[in-house]
Amino acid sequence: MNWTANDLDLYMQQQEYIDTALIPLVHIGGGGAMKQSASSAEFLMNLSAFIERQFKGRVVLFPAFSYTDGNDKSRLASEWEASISDMPFKHVFYLTTDPSWSREGIIGDAIWIPSIPLESMDKKLKQSVLEDQVRQIIPVLTARWTSE
Amino acid sequence: MSNTRVSRRQFLNYTLMGVGGFMASGMLMPMIRFAVDPVLEAGAAGDYIPTSQKVSELTEEPVRVDFTYDQVDGWYESEVTGTAWVYREGDKVVALSPVCKHLGCTVNWAGDSEHPNQFFCPCHAGRYEKNGQNVPGTPPTGPLDEFDVKIEDDLLYLGATKPNTLV
Ligand code: FES
Repeated sequence: MNWTANDLDLYMQQQEYIDTALIPLVHIGGGGAMKQSASSAEFLMNLSAFIERQFKGRVVLFPAFSYTDGNDKSRLASEWEASISDMPFKHVFYLTTDPSWSREGIIGDAIWIPSIPLESMDKKLKQSVLEDQVRQIIPVLTARWTSE
Repeated sequence: MSNTRVSRRQFLNYTLMGVGGFMASGMLMPMIRFAVDPVLEAGAAGDYIPTSQKVSELTEEPVRVDFTYDQVDGWYESEVTGTAWVYREGDKVVALSPVCKHLGCTVNWAGDSEHPNQFFCPCHAGRYEKNGQNVPGTPPTGPLDEFDVKIEDDLLYLGATKPNTLV
């Protein structure tokens, strides 16, 4: 499901099946890091949309949670977690290309995927690169679904 | 001082113009939509989308065929990739929609090693027979949709989806 009114209507009726929140964490870099962060965001949003389509009936893809270098990550994490825990999701998957979330244990179970610059690829290549990535993430998701 | 004040007449003029403008836009918007809609909708129903799948290479084993088309939603235009599961059945070509009839996840052929001859939905373990028939006792409530197909120069074209005609 996407974060749209219509999809959320369906979500309300089918909460027992749609039990997972998928939240992309997007870094907004400043100065020299702007382009790099845009490229990562592009990759992450493409990937999230792909996952949403594969798992439409189980996952709600949230609008990206964005942060800048000035944000206190631990604070953000605890604020986010507090807000999400009010929602009836059984599983919350954070997806990010920024390794610091899981490395520093801020969100220990954030799913980290290395960013791949899609901007220089043609459609076909982009598609197959994303597919490869999704294929790697699927086992991570299903493992969590079955273990938790 | 007095010329910065809004006179009674000016005030009425402004207000009426405002209301009139609002009303006019209320009338115009549906008219514009009406005129623009058909343009926005081009590419939807009735059109066949070419794929790169050679029909002569199809077997009885379903294969994934991807296709892309432009979709306009509001002012958000995007290129959408669609998928079909395609196989040969006698001299007929069957193309099934991968969209699960439970809550819309994407199903895979032989996605579950315990059921190698069925479509499998990873979301809630829904299953379908090869012809799209949903397996009773799994969450899906109906069979997979079917695409209209067209063959030209050995290439597969996919049309609109329709309710399954095989089961
Ligand atoms: S969405 Fe396919 S089984 Fe639930």
